[in-house]
Amino acid sequence: MAGKHPMDGSPRRWSRRQFLTRAAGGAIAVPSMAAVLAACDKPGTAPSGNGSTVTDIPIANPDDRVELPLNGTAITTDTPIEAGATLQVYNWDAYMYKAVLKAFEEEYGVTVEWTTFNNMEEGIQKLISGQVQPDVFFPTTDYISRLVQGTDDGPLIQPLNHELIPNLSANVWPSFSDPGPYYDVGAQYTVPYTIYTTGVAYRRDRIDDADADAQGYEMLWNPEHTGEIAYYDSYRDAIGMALIRNGGTDPNTGDPAEITEAKEAILEIVNDLEGSLRINGTYAKLPEGEFTVSQSWSGDIVGAKWYLPKGTGQDVLGFWYPESEPGLIGNDTIVIPTTSQSPRLAHEFLNFFLDEKWGYMNFADWNGYQPPFTSIDPSSLIDDKVVAPTLSRAVVTEEMFETALIQSQLTPEVDKLWLDAWSEIQAGG
Amino acid sequence: MSDAVLDRSAEQTTRVRKGIRASYFRNPWRKPRMLQALTVGYLLWSLMPVVIAVVFSFNSGRSRSSWQGFSLRWWNGDQFDSLFTDEALRQAMFHTFRLAIPTAIVAVGIGTAFAIGIDRWRGRPARGANFLMLLSFVLPEMILGVSLFLVFTFLLDNVMKLGTGAQWLGLITFQMSYAVVIVRARLLSIGPEYEEAAMDLGARPGQSMRRVLLPLLSPAILASVAVVFADTVDDFVIVRFLSGAADTEPLSVKIYSAARASPTPAVNAAATVMLVSTMTVIAIAYLLYRRYGRGQHGADVSSFTQL
Amino acid sequence: MANAEATAEPRGRRKNRADEAAGRGGAWFPNWYWPSFSLPGIIWLLALFVMPFYTVLSVAFGTVEPLFRSPLPVYQPWWWSFATFSETTQKFYAGNAVYQEPLIRTFIYVIAASTICLVLGYAVAYYTARYAGKYRVLILVALVSPFWISYLMRIYAWQSLLQADGYVNDVWSIFAAPTNWLSGKPLTVILGLVYGYIPFMILPLFGSLDRIDQRMLEAGRDLGASPARTFWRVTLPLSKPAILAGLVIVSLPMFGDYYTNDLLGTQRTSMLGNLIANSVFQAGQGPEAGSLTVVLMVIVVVPMLYYLRETKRAAESL
Repeated sequence: MAGKHPMDGSPRRWSRRQFLTRAAGGAIAVPSMAAVLAACDKPGTAPSGNGSTVTDIPIANPDDRVELPLNGTAITTDTPIEAGATLQVYNWDAYMYKAVLKAFEEEYGVTVEWTTFNNMEEGIQKLISGQVQPDVFFPTTDYISRLVQGTDDGPLIQPLNHELIPNLSANVWPSFSDPGPYYDVGAQYTVPYTIYTTGVAYRRDRIDDADADAQGYEMLWNPEHTGEIAYYDSYRDAIGMALIRNGGTDPNTGDPAEITEAKEAILEIVNDLEGSLRINGTYAKLPEGEFTVSQSWSGDIVGAKWYLPKGTGQDVLGFWYPESEPGLIGNDTIVIPTTSQSPRLAHEFLNFFLDEKWGYMNFADWNGYQPPFTSIDPSSLIDDKVVAPTLSRAVVTEEMFETALIQSQLTPEVDKLWLDAWSEIQAGG
Repeated sequence: MSDAVLDRSAEQTTRVRKGIRASYFRNPWRKPRMLQALTVGYLLWSLMPVVIAVVFSFNSGRSRSSWQGFSLRWWNGDQFDSLFTDEALRQAMFHTFRLAIPTAIVAVGIGTAFAIGIDRWRGRPARGANFLMLLSFVLPEMILGVSLFLVFTFLLDNVMKLGTGAQWLGLITFQMSYAVVIVRARLLSIGPEYEEAAMDLGARPGQSMRRVLLPLLSPAILASVAVVFADTVDDFVIVRFLSGAADTEPLSVKIYSAARASPTPAVNAAATVMLVSTMTVIAIAYLLYRRYGRGQHGADVSSFTQL
Repeated sequence: MANAEATAEPRGRRKNRADEAAGRGGAWFPNWYWPSFSLPGIIWLLALFVMPFYTVLSVAFGTVEPLFRSPLPVYQPWWWSFATFSETTQKFYAGNAVYQEPLIRTFIYVIAASTICLVLGYAVAYYTARYAGKYRVLILVALVSPFWISYLMRIYAWQSLLQADGYVNDVWSIFAAPTNWLSGKPLTVILGLVYGYIPFMILPLFGSLDRIDQRMLEAGRDLGASPARTFWRVTLPLSKPAILAGLVIVSLPMFGDYYTNDLLGTQRTSMLGNLIANSVFQAGQGPEAGSLTVVLMVIVVVPMLYYLRETKRAAESL
């Protein structure tokens, strides 16, 4: 500015008002400045911090088995059990039997606190940001390698000490313990929680069994059931089933055309057939009669019997799963995050749920989701009235894992394609 | 009395001349039956669902829509899932009050001071501050929820995590504007004369504030405490975004999650608890208002409802 | 304090400005007196209301971390990238226009719900203010009570009623076949919004109608106006500020509403608030959530400014 103002150079006298406004401005600027100074480099270009010790883990799928690198050491066997601790469990809603949790609390003299998430993405986000610091976490298999690698702040899950989880080798299928699953050879970080298939559940009082068999996946796209269709609010399962229904064979495909076609199919359900995307369609709403047909995990329909209204028999529920072609199959895992305050107790918790008695009770009396135990004879489940005879297709056997389609981790680019399609689906139309 | 006479004769005359229906519509002093029916219908529509929800908390089955008999199962009967035995629900109940009480006190405190200041302060910055406050009043809560979530997840990551502290801060920010609006409305109707009179009579500014202005404002302050308490108990957008682990989820978040999953009548019971607690606070506030506001101008229910 | 001593001891006291002013018959306060009352509130709002919004901008114009695709906010404005923001806004009108439907839907629902709130609310407020007579207090308490009852509980109560085996269908099946009310019907969502927000409309309207001078109405009638004319020419204009206030208080929060649709609708009836809520926790969608929040802010601020201008003008004309 040309010319010096007469006041320049002389000591300024600020009025109180000016002081206040400027001080207020300064007060805001300071924390922002701190953040600015802390992040002076353009994000993404700064060298990654000293936290992550493992990088570039290859993407696992059933044909490319991956042995995860160790990102730290497991706790030693002689670590004492943390007495009187509060075990933070981070899991889906309604996924564990409260009676089993109570038994665990009583046996170890601890408290269990159960924080829930509504979908896996939300769960992962809260875990990454450190907002939830659980001792035990139940992720799906496609996140394992990323959890092992972790963020700039360090890895997110810790290796397990198998000496503290004897039930893993004693009770669980060898394909999950030794040699271990494709995503975690040697089961170094995970133990399996449940196994399940993904099919279509339906009300047998509104759809004939023979009709259901003939239609298969098409039940969900049948205009006769307009307004009574439920579909899962989870992008992998939703798009995955639509891909298979459209004739695809790869539930991990990155082909944009296939993904678009699947997206259109789901939009058809949402818009034209007045279907709704929700997580409780099968286990809560189908028994109540709110829906006629719904996409269903095998455990959801087996466990649905606990939600039947008084007076309705179990034979009203049916489940369809392809017999001659491969269908979708998967499993959930339990891991111990690095933020765990009571890792020794967490190991006991994993062992507890792999116990023949408690794991079985969790499944038979509550969950409906089979654990992969050697002691469970699939054919006897029906005789023991754990699974209703009308739901015989919902039983999962070890052989099914060899031929069925497994959803594994996607590359970030393919994941973006899937998620973009998903956000379009959620926006309706 | 004479009105009734006029009523009848005007009506009768028109009835004779134009028939019954016209006599009703032409009569300027008619009873407004349609509006009456509408209002009664509205009140039923407004309150029945809540009454039914409360009643269903005593359902013996797990349905919220088909009645299966009376039972206290969901209150404290069921071993795991009833309101008072389910640890998670009990914790949520205490968390609701842990959030609501401090928020009500602090938000009303800051808000009242803000309103007094704005009312007397003249000039541009005053209007700017007023605009800011009104903005926080009408802005959808979701904007504040998302922005605070991002603040606590990224900016203040190492200072304060999501959880009760963050929830307090967010709630006070959101609720402050209610207190300001209510107190300001009352201030406008009081005017500065009382305080000036007190100071003319020798009171110091502090004294006149404490002994003249604040008692005059007490109806508004009590109303704001009640409003903020009720609104905080109800709030779940901000508390949901700012909640961390399960022990920082109040009843409202639990109800919301359950409504999307598989709600049992225990959720109805939880909602009833929220309802009863709010009504209790309102009743207490109203009684205090009646006691201290006696004889004041405008000390009746309608001024209590002024926003 | 000097003041206290001065007023307590009449002899030999120092004259200060307060005394001078008191002597003049007015009150004097230092310049900073009244603003200091507002200061805590202002600082609070600036710190927890304005600054968080800057964080939203930083996330909206920031990037995404490669592994988990969680948002990476960029605080320095010179490194802000507007790619995601323009991509998001383009979803409203260009290409597939994926977000166009939800946006239009949101406007339609808000306008419909606000209108119903206004008409219904006005009728009820009018009756209560003018004709309620001895039941006035009772009706007032009943009108005010939904205001205190949790919004969540009220919508949840409706969800129970609207289920396939709920009471609504029980009554409805007398006239027609049972319908699926919760399968994405716009009517359900609109009525849900009305149900939730109408108390906010009734209270200001009641306050205004209550204060209308009875004599004005009688004057109108004396001059020969029919009831309808009196209403149109006298009552309605006098209650205009309250109508405006009620519309603002009701419609602006509705724009960000997402839980009504969550509980009573499906993806088919999704609103702008649902788009934001869905993308906040979605991997890789952080910047998009921020951009959508900015869009919502813009949509809401414009009517807000208009309303503020109107109230300022009204306040100045008092």
